[in-house]
Amino acid sequence: MVHPAIEISGLTKRYGVGDAAVDALKGVDMIVRPGEVVGLIGPSGSGKSTLLKCLGAVIEPTSGRMSLAGETIYDNGWKVADLRALRRDRIGFVFQAPYLIPFLDVTDNVALLPMLAGMSNGKARDRARQMLAALDVGHRAQAQVPQLSGGEQQRVAIARALVNQPPIILADEPTAPLDSERALTVIRILNEMAQRFGTAIIVVTHDEKIIPTFRRIYHIRDGRTYEQAGEARAA
Amino acid sequence: MINLAGRDILYGWGKFVFTGLGLGLLVGLTLSMAGIYRGLVDDGKVLLENVGADLWVVQRDTLGPYAEPSNVRDDAYRTLLGVRGVAEAGNVTYLTMQIRHEGSDVRVMLVGFEPGHPGEPGYLVAGRPITRSHYEAIADVKTGLRLDDRIRIRRHEYTVVGLTRRMVSSGGDPMVFVPLQDAQEVQFLKDNDALVNERARTAANPAFNRPGVPGLLEAVQASQASSRTVNVVMLRLAPNADEIVVAREIRRWKHLEAYTRNDMDEILVAKLIATSAKQIFMFLVILAVVSAAIVAFIIYTMTLNKVREIAVLKLIGARNRTIAGMILQQALGLGAIAFVVGKTAATLWAPIFPKYVLLLPGDAVLGAVLVLVICAFASIVAIRAALRVDPATAIGG
Repeated sequence: MVHPAIEISGLTKRYGVGDAAVDALKGVDMIVRPGEVVGLIGPSGSGKSTLLKCLGAVIEPTSGRMSLAGETIYDNGWKVADLRALRRDRIGFVFQAPYLIPFLDVTDNVALLPMLAGMSNGKARDRARQMLAALDVGHRAQAQVPQLSGGEQQRVAIARALVNQPPIILADEPTAPLDSERALTVIRILNEMAQRFGTAIIVVTHDEKIIPTFRRIYHIRDGRTYEQAGEARAA
Repeated sequence: MINLAGRDILYGWGKFVFTGLGLGLLVGLTLSMAGIYRGLVDDGKVLLENVGADLWVVQRDTLGPYAEPSNVRDDAYRTLLGVRGVAEAGNVTYLTMQIRHEGSDVRVMLVGFEPGHPGEPGYLVAGRPITRSHYEAIADVKTGLRLDDRIRIRRHEYTVVGLTRRMVSSGGDPMVFVPLQDAQEVQFLKDNDALVNERARTAANPAFNRPGVPGLLEAVQASQASSRTVNVVMLRLAPNADEIVVAREIRRWKHLEAYTRNDMDEILVAKLIATSAKQIFMFLVILAVVSAAIVAFIIYTMTLNKVREIAVLKLIGARNRTIAGMILQQALGLGAIAFVVGKTAATLWAPIFPKYVLLLPGDAVLGAVLVLVICAFASIVAIRAALRVDPATAIGG
């Protein structure tokens, strides 16, 4: 039996206490299977980023349950001792801007993750080069970050998210700074990588250009999620 | 693991080098201050070493020729030679004055000494010792005088016949050595007008011009025009003599003060330059605090400029110690650059200082350690700021 890559049920998050308390998440349910790319859309303040931060083990939910690849990581409290290692080994992040480390070259930006996980420099760089080649930026492996175009930087960021082959990737508006063509290219790459590595990818977006590309979409409004079959699937 | 600090330094090397350069000049200033203090102490020690004396005999209840005025009759050396253990004695005078040389004034300490006796310069770097009784001089090279230069001191002209080195007063004034009698004349003999006035005053005094005492007035006037005092009698002791015992004998029986080499060290270092040393120490403390504040500010600013990168590093799983290590290494790198620049600068500009600047290797090592410790402490503020960066800031919203 294949476990869902992400399974969330009844997840809540409350900021503040007493009269000042704000319920950002009011019982989120979500299931994402391995190899699936899911859109998460909603207006500003709807709780998208809070959900992403809870999933990324960056902030602690208030209650509910979360599991990654069948392993419960949160059940009304963290069930994992080392959240840093959890983020490093099992979650990939792609941000609105690439946020590459400017003083490292392209290869080392990608190799940094496996190195942080304890892999030797040589092996980590080999793996980084393979991942860069898979994303068609292998020829820029020795380049410095400022020498890359915006699209190339985003590909390198995706390579960095994938290099430890995590079961899930959380992408926070990854196409926001890109034009339509490049935005669609990034989504195509994410879909390819999801298929190739069996990675579940959640893409938070406002970008109407890419919304039709998702097979499944979660709308989030007032801290609750509503699932909708995407246009790609309907088509 | 990649050395993140090294990569960042290489990436922004210009910023690092220029910051290190500025900080290095501050470090150079600090090392120079330490060098000035060492120079003061060393000048004193060299002065004591080069005169070749074991005991300094001065006026009772005074601190000796370098710290306080002292007058001793110039025939006292004869009785001192009679003290058991004393091998040689030499009269010496000291007078700080200005002489003119090539159109400018040079502040010097004029030393009167008896050639061949304690008190003469320990060695010459050029020329020859004084061989004539009058009007020859030996000058320290810091005076700017050269061999065969002629200098006017009061009424007479002197020829520079020898040059010495590192013979300076505790105030840093270079020394000019002349024969004792010439120095006594310079120090104690009045000018012609003053002599005429003094004679007239003495002659008008009935106590010195009494009828029935022929020759009294002339005798008094002659004594007023002569100079029979020196500032110190320097003694060299016999090989087996105990300087402490000899000094005690002189204090007890000759009614003079006698200082050993250790006593003079104490007077020069602990008393004479103590205020200067405290002044320099205060400067050192202030410079260290200023340097620490500057390093802290620079590292803190550089860290704040990397908040997003730090958030990403934390989000992707970098440990706190990796991030703290990066900031600490950068601070230490900055300190290392600053020390190299500072040491080089201090070495280059030391000869330009008017006073002797002694840069000891030990001080340089201590300085390097202090710079690195200061940088490490200064990085604490930045490290605290970096560790407070929330990895969530890498995610929008």
